[in-house]
Amino acid sequence: MTTTLVWSAIAAYIAIALFVAYLSRKGKQDNMESYFLGDRKLGGFVSALSYSATTYSAFMLVGLAGLTYNGGVGALGFELIYLMGVSLVAFFGPRFWVVGKKYGYVTPSEMLGDRYNNKHVAIIVAISNCLFLIPYSAVQLSGVGYLLQGVTNNAIPYSTGVIIATVLALIFSYIAGIRSVAWTDSLQSLFMIIGSTLIVIVLINGFGGLSGFFEKIETSQPELMTVPGNGYFSFLTFLGLTIPWFFFSISNPQVSQRLYMPASLKSLKTMLMGFLVFGFIYTIVAVVWGFSATLLFPGLENPDLATPLVLSSELVPPILGVIVMVGIMAAAVSTIDSILLTLSSLFAKDVYGNLKKNTTDQMQLRIGKIVIPIIAILAYLFAEMELSLIAVLSVASSAGLIVVVPAIVGTFFWKRGTAAGVLSSVTIAGLIVILLELFQLKPLGLASGLWGISISTLLFIGVSLVTRAPEAKANEFLSYISEALKKAK
Amino acid sequence: MKSNELKWALSILVIVLLAYVLPYTLLTDIMKWYGSFLVWIVLALITIIINYFLTKDWGK
Repeated sequence: MTTTLVWSAIAAYIAIALFVAYLSRKGKQDNMESYFLGDRKLGGFVSALSYSATTYSAFMLVGLAGLTYNGGVGALGFELIYLMGVSLVAFFGPRFWVVGKKYGYVTPSEMLGDRYNNKHVAIIVAISNCLFLIPYSAVQLSGVGYLLQGVTNNAIPYSTGVIIATVLALIFSYIAGIRSVAWTDSLQSLFMIIGSTLIVIVLINGFGGLSGFFEKIETSQPELMTVPGNGYFSFLTFLGLTIPWFFFSISNPQVSQRLYMPASLKSLKTMLMGFLVFGFIYTIVAVVWGFSATLLFPGLENPDLATPLVLSSELVPPILGVIVMVGIMAAAVSTIDSILLTLSSLFAKDVYGNLKKNTTDQMQLRIGKIVIPIIAILAYLFAEMELSLIAVLSVASSAGLIVVVPAIVGTFFWKRGTAAGVLSSVTIAGLIVILLELFQLKPLGLASGLWGISISTLLFIGVSLVTRAPEAKANEFLSYISEALKKAK
Repeated sequence: MKSNELKWALSILVIVLLAYVLPYTLLTDIMKWYGSFLVWIVLALITIIINYFLTKDWGK
């Protein structure tokens, strides 16, 4: 792949995306609800594509393909169990949606704070989300850096890639808040899925069709078709990977905040079903991609190189390769811009809004807009420094965010849950996850996420039982939900 | 949670459990495409169909 071709493709992508972002400017984004939630008026189709682009980062075609390369079909199981977990949206989605509309929630942590009747809940949950998600964005940025460096043989240096990704994410979230994010996301998700599906079809044809493809794997490395197979996906490893991801759709604020945005329950349905179909196709594409790499380039020491190598292999026409390269970049950028926007809303609404007295919606929006570039710069600096702590926090992000799950489940399904239960479960279990990841410990062979969810569940239930629940609020909140859902269906 | 929701939630739970159990027991020696590869894909498809039924009446 020549450097000129790569640069032209990047330029074309930026031009088209900027144009779409510009077109998305509608109305005046002059309040929090408008800027961060698109006035709760997002259509189903855009919601579905944007949800897909936000969820699927550069991880799929680099990390998941690498996991397949290393451990085989277990990677498919891991990602499909995550997809099954998105069914949680079918249960939590309408509940988030109706209370969001009724009480005007902008962030999931604001909802927790109100439901448990304690502003410290909102503050602590918001801070813990930032702590894990900023490093996660940093790693996405470095993903773009390595990708461009890899496919151009160092002609585009690492830092240039990181800067391009940071600036793009910043622009997409700044132009019109969630509207420009949602529209550019939609465009980027189409890039991702169409490009990668085309390549996979080309690859499979090159191996002599589906039967030829499977036959080649079954004869050259048959153990890749089973788990634990070559031992990479031992049952405990598999469990440790899948459990945190199973709860991703409710534990990660950049996607759970999306549950407030659809214009109607019908749009919410389109978002969920559209995402499930998108995710199903994209997962299979990424896994087949990884298998193709094992057939084309067996024995790589660093499996993350598998994707750049496939992209520049002879089987793939350069123009298609460059489209998918842009698709991977787009996947990273579309994840980062959504996280940027969500985190700034968390900071403005839950941290600033609760710590400073008598703030208005306008002031919070102004703070939110100031915070967006600050978070982007922090993520950029983390990506440039390549600190090991950042890598640790990023790996720990799915495990670290899972500690909020008991509190979220309690919000809708357990009247006895209390603020003290939330605060203790989120802080103590969160700290334990960080320590386990920092010192690379796996007590009893169990990964940090499993400890996170077990400890936070025990603490949430235990502490809630010995403290006073906000009865009046809980009753009002839950009876409103059951009435509203009855009416809506 | 309504009884209807509970029924679907339990079906999804069973499918997820199968997605953990089958590949690590019955299918560990089947080194073919119709082993774990196919089973995971089928289980995911069933989950998508369940979601379709769960959300069918939303907004009606």
